[in-house]
Amino acid sequence: MEDHVIKGKMSTPISRRSLLKGSVALGVLASSGGLALNLTAPGSAEAGTKVMPKKWDETIDVVVVGSGFAGLAAAAEASAQGSKVVILEKMPTYGGNSIINGGEYNSWDDEYHFREKFKLGNDSAELHKQDTLKGGDFYGSPELVEVLVNGATPALNWMLDNGGLKLREILNRTGGHTAYRTHTCVEGVGRCYTEALRKIAEGKGAKIRLNTKVTWIWRKDADPKSPIEGVEVMTGKKTKNIKIVKALILASGGFSRDIKMRQSFNPSVVPELNCTNQPGATGEMIRYAQAVGADALQLAFIQLYPYAAPDTGTLDSPAVYPFRGPGYGIVYVNKLGKRFVNEMERRDVVSRAQIQTGMKPTYSIFNEAMIPKMGTKEEVEKGMAKGRFIKANSIAELAGKLGIPADTLVETIKTHNRYMKEGKDPDFGRQFTKVMIPLEEGPFYAIAQWPAVHHTMGGLRINKETQVIDIWGNTIPRLYAAGEVTGGIHGANRLGGNAVPDCIVFGRIAGTNAGKG
Amino acid sequence: MQRKWLILLVFLCFITVVCLPVIERTEAAKTKTEPAKTVEKQKSCTGCHEDFKTVLPQAHPPVTGNTLSACLECHAPGERGKAEPNKFAARLHLAHLKGPVKADCLVCHTWQPGKSFGLVGGADSYGAPSEEDMNLMKRMFTSAAESVHLDARHVSKDITCAGCHGKDLPKEEDTVENAKCLECHGPAEELAAKTAPKDFPDRNPHKSHLGEINCTVCHSGHAESKVYCLECHPTFEMKMK
Repeated sequence: MEDHVIKGKMSTPISRRSLLKGSVALGVLASSGGLALNLTAPGSAEAGTKVMPKKWDETIDVVVVGSGFAGLAAAAEASAQGSKVVILEKMPTYGGNSIINGGEYNSWDDEYHFREKFKLGNDSAELHKQDTLKGGDFYGSPELVEVLVNGATPALNWMLDNGGLKLREILNRTGGHTAYRTHTCVEGVGRCYTEALRKIAEGKGAKIRLNTKVTWIWRKDADPKSPIEGVEVMTGKKTKNIKIVKALILASGGFSRDIKMRQSFNPSVVPELNCTNQPGATGEMIRYAQAVGADALQLAFIQLYPYAAPDTGTLDSPAVYPFRGPGYGIVYVNKLGKRFVNEMERRDVVSRAQIQTGMKPTYSIFNEAMIPKMGTKEEVEKGMAKGRFIKANSIAELAGKLGIPADTLVETIKTHNRYMKEGKDPDFGRQFTKVMIPLEEGPFYAIAQWPAVHHTMGGLRINKETQVIDIWGNTIPRLYAAGEVTGGIHGANRLGGNAVPDCIVFGRIAGTNAGKG
Repeated sequence: MQRKWLILLVFLCFITVVCLPVIERTEAAKTKTEPAKTVEKQKSCTGCHEDFKTVLPQAHPPVTGNTLSACLECHAPGERGKAEPNKFAARLHLAHLKGPVKADCLVCHTWQPGKSFGLVGGADSYGAPSEEDMNLMKRMFTSAAESVHLDARHVSKDITCAGCHGKDLPKEEDTVENAKCLECHGPAEELAAKTAPKDFPDRNPHKSHLGEINCTVCHSGHAESKVYCLECHPTFEMKMK
């Protein structure tokens, strides 16, 4: 049967076969009453008449999409409410970006009271909130940020008490923060938190299904009363439809690896830039949610991590040191041996300043005394063996090894030490604190760094109960979202160490609300 | 105006009732396996083999009979579900599936779609594969006989399908769990110790920051195996043996 193209009154040509199939579908629909909401444009891959499934292959109380921090936290709380929870993970391994994350967690306090213990000054949830809103140029919602900063400490203690999380005895003041509040876990990698969360979640009966990709969200229509009915999923080559009873929680992360989507919102985040993320960080879940009416905001705000490994963009263990260091006196220099930015600044400011130097890479300079404040000797030694950290006995020797002018670097460091003593930085306005360490005593270390695409601040619109909001301001019944997939918390720029608490705090809220049903 | 819609409705019903089934049947026909019409149905092994003596190894005790039921008096069939070598099942299948023989399954096997699957001359049934299942098995057995993938590498060492998949005939979405692989290749700690690189011990594919992952993330039975670490770490020197 040859496909014959018919051009009727419709604008797009339709083949005979699809017209027949279409008329059959319509005939079927007449009896089942089941066209589904689909706001995608005609001609796109997801367009065409989406027909609500007549029968469902499975029924689940709460479906969570994504097995990172937010998904696991949501699953833990939803299961604790007694719901049957299944986490759908499209990748062959669990954890998304969370499991390879740097393990940095902002909280104004913790059950060990590190800040008091190490005499690192004052802090409060309110101060954390102010720093966060300012760090995002006030694009963030004060109401949502309030939830984040108030929930950060209880969530940290929850993981410590119930998940076996172990923290290093370290507290950092990182870019854009005005207090020492960034915690680090023992292994220095997000897996510490994901394993703690997984222990809690699986302990309460939640299950993770790997290699299971969501390919559509089912909703009858855009009526504010119409809830989410279910999801279409694909495993291998098989597609099936899961009916959802209580809630669908989207915790699918950001879209840093989705070059098409990045470019459509922010062309300046060019494809040539490396990316710190795992390959699954793409934005299809945001699109599927929008296709059923969800609103999204601030998708143009895409963050570059300033300190990624220059050749690959990998955010490995050594690459977290330049992030932890500012509160203890780390110095950033360019290839000419000169400083180029206030090291206490936010990520977007530091990234932009690096790119403006026009010289890749730039370097972080620190010394032996700073190591215990940022990490461990063992970690630094491993990093040296891999050629990431460079060690020297003097600044001049270090410059020689880096291939940058020795005289200039020596002068830069000497000047900076003087500024630290005087408590004033006329060049870049760096704020100094009492606990910072001058670069006077060696050995000295350097690590190369360059910006790489890292985090998408924008995403689905939620309220403080993590309910997803449609374009008219109504909540979409049974739809929740938490973590990087949401937008409107971090504003124009996320402060480092805020992502983990964001995911876990809002993940827990989503799970608790979803579980109540 | 109303007559126009009535005609349209009748037309639609006609299409639904008559045309669609026709389309579906022609599509289905393309994927059906071709049983026995072009291949001569063998009533016994001696249809091709003059005498068992000509195909058995020298040290093998003499066999009377001319169907596979004779072999089954001593040898267990392939599907016992244990992760251990089964020379009989492995070599029998390899001999018949490899070129130039490339025999069709139904030369030796009996099959009633959705009902039974057994051996010519035998009474037992080893499952009830549908057409879809049979097509899958054909692809898998061909791969096991002639590819460079893990299936062929296992069969060449006399580990048959059951060694990984257990007793029942596998389905499309089946996977193999770590516990099964580790029956021969474990325990996990020893395996990790074996693959720890001397230069950078933490670049160990079996002990990485991803924690405990499925063996099948990297090791495919019937397709090319790929080192998953290299997806994010392209500069690592990691090769599968």
